[in-house]
Amino acid sequence: MVSRHSLELAVPGLVVGALAGVMAGGLTLFAGQPGGATFLALPLALFGGLYGMLLGHGPFRPGTFAPAGLLWLPAFPLSRLAQESVAATGALADGVLPFLAYQAMVSLGFAIGFLWLHERLMPSWLLRVRARGHNPRADRLLAHYVRSASA
Amino acid sequence: MDTSETPVTTTPVEDKRVWKAGRLEPMPIRKLPDAPPSVHILGPTVFLVALGVGMGESYMWPRLVLLFGPEIRWLFLIGVTLQAVVMLEMARYAMATGESIFSGAARVFKPLMWFFFTVAILVYIWPGHLSAGAAAFEEITGIPWTVTAVTGLILVGVVFSLAKVIYNVLENLLSVLIGALVIGTAVIAAMVGSWADVVSTITGMFSIGYLPPEALSAAWFPVIVGACAFAGPSGMQQMWYTLHLRDSGAGMGAHIPRIRGLRHAGEEEAMPSRGFMFDTEDPAEMAKWRGWRRWVTFDALLLFWGITMLVTISFTVIAQAAARQNPGVRTAIQGDDREVALSAMADAVSSAGSSVLGVVFLGFIALIGLNATLGLFDSFSRGQADMTYNFVPGAKKLRMSHLYAGFLWGVIIFGILILLFGPADGPSGILDTLAFLSTFAMGAYCVTLLLVNNRMLPKPIRPRWWSNVIIGFGAVFYLGMLFYSLVAFGVVVG
Repeated sequence: MVSRHSLELAVPGLVVGALAGVMAGGLTLFAGQPGGATFLALPLALFGGLYGMLLGHGPFRPGTFAPAGLLWLPAFPLSRLAQESVAATGALADGVLPFLAYQAMVSLGFAIGFLWLHERLMPSWLLRVRARGHNPRADRLLAHYVRSASA
Repeated sequence: MDTSETPVTTTPVEDKRVWKAGRLEPMPIRKLPDAPPSVHILGPTVFLVALGVGMGESYMWPRLVLLFGPEIRWLFLIGVTLQAVVMLEMARYAMATGESIFSGAARVFKPLMWFFFTVAILVYIWPGHLSAGAAAFEEITGIPWTVTAVTGLILVGVVFSLAKVIYNVLENLLSVLIGALVIGTAVIAAMVGSWADVVSTITGMFSIGYLPPEALSAAWFPVIVGACAFAGPSGMQQMWYTLHLRDSGAGMGAHIPRIRGLRHAGEEEAMPSRGFMFDTEDPAEMAKWRGWRRWVTFDALLLFWGITMLVTISFTVIAQAAARQNPGVRTAIQGDDREVALSAMADAVSSAGSSVLGVVFLGFIALIGLNATLGLFDSFSRGQADMTYNFVPGAKKLRMSHLYAGFLWGVIIFGILILLFGPADGPSGILDTLAFLSTFAMGAYCVTLLLVNNRMLPKPIRPRWWSNVIIGFGAVFYLGMLFYSLVAFGVVVG
C-alpha cells in the first residue's frame, strides 16, 4: 500500500501534470469533446505524481533531466493515446505507430518544461510538508535541495 | 599589453597575490567556490532563454519555413549552435573573474567597451519590441496595445524597484513563465502536429547549403540575415548574460555583492571596482573550475539549445499545420506586416482545432513578449549601470542599485513618451542603422570574446583551439552576411 509519506511527495508532480493536461484538454473541450480534458489531465497527473514518488524513494535524482526524460518518453505518448481513445480528435488518422513516435518526440520537450516547473514547486512544498509533521523521505529530499541551494 | 601568463606571487599570503589583466586594476587572487554538487537544472540561463526565445523562434523562422520549405532550417541550426558556444565562452570570462564581458572588453581596449555602451543605448531604448506581445494581447482581450504596453512598462519598473534582491524576483518570475511556455508549446504541438511535420522540420535542419534562388534576392536575403541574427539571443543579449551569471554568484561571481531594488539600495554592500581571479596553478582549484564548466555546459546544451530548438520546432509545426488547414496563411505570412501574419496563423490554428486554440497561440505570443520585455529592461539597465559604475569618473559615489534604477526608469519614461507620441521602433530615418548596429554588435562581440578570453585569462583556463575556431566563424558569419547583404543588395537586415 502506498503510504501517506509517498503520496505527499507526489503532490507537486501531480499538480504540474494535471495543469498541463487541463491546458491541452481544455482545447478539446471547446472542440466538442468534453471528455478530452479529464482523459489527458488524469494520466499526466498520475505520471507526474509517480515522478515525485520516485524522487523520494531514491532511484531518481532531483534536478537532473535524464530520469524525467526517460519517464515521459513512454508516459506522454500513452497519456495522449488514452485521451485519443476516449475523446478522439482525429490525430490517429495516420496510424498508431506514427502517432506514438511523434508524441514520444514531443515528450522530451514536455519533460524539460515539467522538470523546470517541478523543481520550482517541490522545495516550497517540502517546506510545507515539514511544517505539518514528520516525513523522513520529504526531509531527506529537502536536505538535498538545501545543499544544492547553499552550493 | 601587460598580461602575465600566471598569477604574480608577491608574498605567500593569499590576499596579496594578484592577476594582472590589461592596464586596469589587477584582480586579487581568491578562492573559487565549489561548483553545484549535481548538474542542476536551474541556473541563470533562464534569462538567456527568456531573452532568446522571441520573435525569431515564434515568427521569423516558421515564416521562412512556410516560404522556402523546411530545408532552410539548416541556417537556424548553425545560428543556435553558434550561440550555445558563444554562451559557453561568455560564461568562461564571467565565472573566472566575476566581471562582466564589458569590463573584459575595457581591459583589452577601453573604446571597445564604450562602443557597446553606445550601441546598447541606440538600439534598446526604443520600445518597439513590446508591440508584438501587446498586439497579441489586444487580439485576445480587445484592450488597445499601447495601454497594455504602457501598463507593462510601469509594472516592470515598480517590481524591479521594490524587489529586495532583483535577481531572485526575476529568476522566479521568468522560471514560471518559461515553464508554462515550454509545457504549453509542447502540448499544442502534440495536439495539432503530426509525425510528418516534425520529420520534415528536423531533417530540414541538416540540408546544409540549401538556398533557393528566391532566397538570394534583395527582398529575402536581408530577411534571412535578420532571422539568423535572431536565432537564439540577438544583439547584446549574450553580453548581458555575463551580468546575470555574476549576480547569481556563479564561479568568482560569488565574491561580488548582488544588485538590490531601489527600495533596498541602502542594504547593498560596497561594489568592488574589479573582479577576482582564482589560483589556476592549484589542482584543487582547477578541479572546482572543471565542475563549474560542466554546470554551465549542461545549461548551454539542455536548457538553452534544447528549449530554443523545442519552441521553434513547435511553432514551425503549428505554422505548417495552420498552412495545411488554411492556404491563406501562406499569403498572409509573405507580407511584411508581422501582426497580420501572426493573426492569420492564429486564425488558421483556430480552424484546425478550436477557437480556444487560436487564443492560446496568441497567448503564447503575448507571453514571449512579456518574457522578453522583463528580461530586456532589466538587462539593459544592469549593463549600462555596470559600465557607468566602473568607468565613468565619479560614478562610484552612487550605489550600483541607484544607477540601475536610474537607467531602468530612464528607459521606461522614454519608452512611455515614445509609445504615446513617437515612432515605437525608432525614427524611420535611422531604422536601417539600428538594425545594422544590432547585428554588427554580434560580430563585434565574437571578436571581443576572442581577445578577452585569449589575452586576459591565465593560460590554463583559456579556450581550446576548436572553440576559438567556432567563435571566429561566428564573427565571419554575422559580419560576412551583414556586409554581403549591404554590398550585393544595398539592404541591411530585414
